Amino acid sequence: MLRLLNTISWRHLRHHRLRTFLTFLGMALGVAVIVAIALVNRALTTSFQSTIEQIAGKAVLQVSNSESGMDERVLALVRDTDGVLDVAAAVDGFLPVSGERGERLYIYGVDLLTDFTMREHQFAGDGFAFDQALDFIAQADSIAVTESFARRRGLAAGSTVVLNTSRGKQSYVIRALLKEEGTARVFGGNFALMDMPVAQLAFGKEGKLDIVDLTVETGSTVETVQARLRQRLAGAAEVERPKKRGEQIESLLTSFRVGLFFVSLIALFVGFFLIYNTVAVSIVQRKREIGTLRCLGMRRAELLRLIVAEALILALVGALIGCLLGWLLAQGALVAVGQTVRNLFSSIGLSGSGLSARELVIALASAIGVALLAALHPAIEALAISPLENARQAVWRPVFAAKKSWATRLGVLCLSIAPLLVVLAPHLTGAVRQFSVGVIGMLIFLLGLAFFAPLIVRYAAQWLWRWTLALPGVSWVETRLAADSLRRNPLRSGITVATMIISLAAIFTIAAFVNSVRGSLLAWVDQMVTADIIISSGARTAGPRNVSLHEEPAAGLRALPGVKIVDLYRLVRANYQGRPIVVESFSAALSAPVRTLPMAQGDGARVLREMAQGKGAVVSESFQTRFGAQVGDKIELVTPSGPVSFTVLGIYIDYSSDIGSVLIDRALYKKYWRDELVDAFDLWLEPGADMAALVQQIKAGYGDQYQLFISTHRELKDAVLRIMEQSFVVNYAVEIVALVVAIFSVINTLLASILDRSREIGVLRAIGATQSQVRRIIVMEAGWMGLIGGLLGLLAGSVMAYHHVVYNTKLLTGWTFQFYYPYDVAALVVSATVVLCLLAGYGPAKKAAATPVVTAIGYE
Amino acid sequence: MIRCTDVCKFYQQGDNRITALAGVTLEIPQGAFTAVMGQSGSGKSTLLHLIGGLDRPTSGELLVDNRLIGQMSDDQVTLFRRSRIGFIFQFFNLLPTLTAAENIALPFVLDGRGKAEADARAAALLAKVGLEHRRQHLPEELSGGEIQRVAIARALAFNPPILLADEPTGNLDSKNGLAILDLLRQVNRQDGCTIVMVTHSEEAAGYAERRIYLRDGRVEKEE
Repeated sequence: MLRLLNTISWRHLRHHRLRTFLTFLGMALGVAVIVAIALVNRALTTSFQSTIEQIAGKAVLQVSNSESGMDERVLALVRDTDGVLDVAAAVDGFLPVSGERGERLYIYGVDLLTDFTMREHQFAGDGFAFDQALDFIAQADSIAVTESFARRRGLAAGSTVVLNTSRGKQSYVIRALLKEEGTARVFGGNFALMDMPVAQLAFGKEGKLDIVDLTVETGSTVETVQARLRQRLAGAAEVERPKKRGEQIESLLTSFRVGLFFVSLIALFVGFFLIYNTVAVSIVQRKREIGTLRCLGMRRAELLRLIVAEALILALVGALIGCLLGWLLAQGALVAVGQTVRNLFSSIGLSGSGLSARELVIALASAIGVALLAALHPAIEALAISPLENARQAVWRPVFAAKKSWATRLGVLCLSIAPLLVVLAPHLTGAVRQFSVGVIGMLIFLLGLAFFAPLIVRYAAQWLWRWTLALPGVSWVETRLAADSLRRNPLRSGITVATMIISLAAIFTIAAFVNSVRGSLLAWVDQMVTADIIISSGARTAGPRNVSLHEEPAAGLRALPGVKIVDLYRLVRANYQGRPIVVESFSAALSAPVRTLPMAQGDGARVLREMAQGKGAVVSESFQTRFGAQVGDKIELVTPSGPVSFTVLGIYIDYSSDIGSVLIDRALYKKYWRDELVDAFDLWLEPGADMAALVQQIKAGYGDQYQLFISTHRELKDAVLRIMEQSFVVNYAVEIVALVVAIFSVINTLLASILDRSREIGVLRAIGATQSQVRRIIVMEAGWMGLIGGLLGLLAGSVMAYHHVVYNTKLLTGWTFQFYYPYDVAALVVSATVVLCLLAGYGPAKKAAATPVVTAIGYE
Repeated sequence: MIRCTDVCKFYQQGDNRITALAGVTLEIPQGAFTAVMGQSGSGKSTLLHLIGGLDRPTSGELLVDNRLIGQMSDDQVTLFRRSRIGFIFQFFNLLPTLTAAENIALPFVLDGRGKAEADARAAALLAKVGLEHRRQHLPEELSGGEIQRVAIARALAFNPPILLADEPTGNLDSKNGLAILDLLRQVNRQDGCTIVMVTHSEEAAGYAERRIYLRDGRVEKEE
């Protein structure tokens, strides 16, 4: 076998260097996407987990209530619980460094005298003695930053650092430097310690705690202490192991991850067609060689092994290159993904790492599995080649029995199964299962259409050439011969068209999804944010850059001339049934006349009225999907005042979070959360008010003191769109792979086609066809493949996009998106495909036209 | 009509130089029916290809219909071939997806002539070769002899002064072979077409007025 591979296969591959290279490239790109996604996924998991573990220190249990916080009295309650050994409380969060765009510190506010029982803070220099600790605590502007942060910012002990706090800009003096060890390693060294009361003031969390870490006494089990604490806290906070908290935060990324998995699946699918195309074309090219081998005594099984081994080697080498490419791609993707994660969830340091053995095995196994599956059918076709083939004058090609062919039958089977799976999916339990079965249904639909490609090509070619004749300056014979070539070998042309269908469907699905998300988001922003000016601390768009503010500026803003209404908006992360959610609030009573609420269920105006009356809460679609809450149900939220029950007044649309949101009136929020902080001031202006002048006034009045994001309605819309575009970066990688594969496929098919028709081309040249006439025939053939593939790809993409937007997204995120059909992209997909195919066809056409006539005629 | 002066043709295969023609000098007058004979590898097909402008001589002078064919550009030689030279191949070489009439009309269409003119000319040529009733048939529906007749009709599309035939009967049974040779003689005598026919067959060569024997790329003898 090795000798055969060396003498026959290797020489064939070497002879067709361009095709071999393109196959490697295509396969490598496919595997690269899979590897990159695996690496990105692992980096996300590792980063979330390690951050949580580093901060947790020795703690075996953590008491917390998400961002809502807990009453300080919880600390005493925990400390007094049987089985608890050491306890350390903390207030934590990010504070931006004033005047330094993008620079922020993770502030950990602790009781320095007790926190050492939980975490080892290593101070630089001569250590941090008890006296120094007392000195640190005694002064209300003390901060300890890491050496690396100080070095980067050119700071030293005694220097001042200005942070944007909830009370505006505050100066802090660096009274200690931390070695970058233990907890201080998190967030790339952007870590700072503060004394607890100082941190509470900075965050506006006076009298509150974010977390209580604890260890348990010897003789007590973690589970027993956990149960005991839960009982004593009576729902006022959650008690979990640090790992569980990591998982909770990580679960925020579920939909992001499933989306990436979907992308991997498409990359593999495209890889499958690539190998199929290559093997099928190479068999057409080598049919006489195969005939000779059979003549010389090669058995069918040996031939099968040889062809499959060739495909495997191609796949394996491609996969190995792909692993390397994937690693490189991952480094780039991590930057983009890191940005997305930072914008949406949390500030986290994503660092790339090498490929693990498991990932390597998965990548190689995927490539090998796909190659085996893809090569099998063309290999079996090759077995039908007669030993007499080398003596025949006629051109051999796989038999295509039109409506009775295996491809058409498989197409019918797939198109019958696909709708069943799509219909069945919503009846299964679990969103991920429903999503998976739905996606499999759609992929089978795509496969079905791909199987139909040969039949469609055969019939489409029959009328395409007549239709083309209507175009000015088109020659009868050129169009006819181009169409005949497609029609005569529908299997070969069909494989290329099928590859295009798959590639374009992937491209169009992504494009249509992005378009629908964009359209829905813009419509939503119009409804959800009716305010003329939004002064935000960053909660809606700046993610962890947000610094919640006190209410004080509200009075001043209300007094500005031209301002009609000022409403206060607050957003906190909370937990519901052990899973993260978002609690939003504004004053419905204040803004009901000017506000609208985009509703999925219920009347927005009524809901706003009832909210203002404190009758209950409104939940988002995602909340409804995740927790099954219906209008009229009671939901119990854990607040710093203990568990509180709210009646669901309606279901609203909230695209700002897919983890589930609960919207309540600010009065209720303040009462139960004991929190007066604000994340945004929404301003409605009097008719005719000068918006630009007002913005200037606000900047002049508050810009120096606070970190403010002042945006008009239009600017907020643009910011939302920008964040959305960033989160689709990874998807664009697939579009590139799909495009490369489609172009490669056309070139490959045309090269085989002209080889197949060498003599025919020779005869044409002999009886007087010029080189340009031959070129036009081949290019036209490519253009038609592009047109058929483009239209079918668009059809498949449209169906898939609709399914993805309307069903899949709802399953993953709970969001209902309007389907906005991207007509411009549709027109572009078809026209660009035709143009790219025409361009791709030019190379083979030139080659065909330039073949010496004698060589062409003597080919057989 | 055709004059070869010391025509040589070499092919380079790796480090080896293959000699196909090693200095052929001959003259074929207008209206002659000439057979070129010789063993396999003697250079007879190469000579035919050079005369037809399908290939270029390495050296020597080749005058066809008063044109130095070796010095013409690819497009010039293609257009010249289209209108002045008809080709007939051993393996028929019709386009399999075109009907008999469409195959015959092909050179007209390539020349940009109107469909009506092409159809009329194709019908006339089909009548000439006795295949009016096979007009709409595809090559696979025709017999070997019929296919070769269609090929001859296609070669005569523009009434070319020169007809080049490469083993035109090599793939036919003797009865059909003789019928084709009769047809070629008829074309030669009635239309005054100069015919150069490469053949292995003495019987086929017997139809020609003159026989040129090639051996190792040179003219060995003439009869």
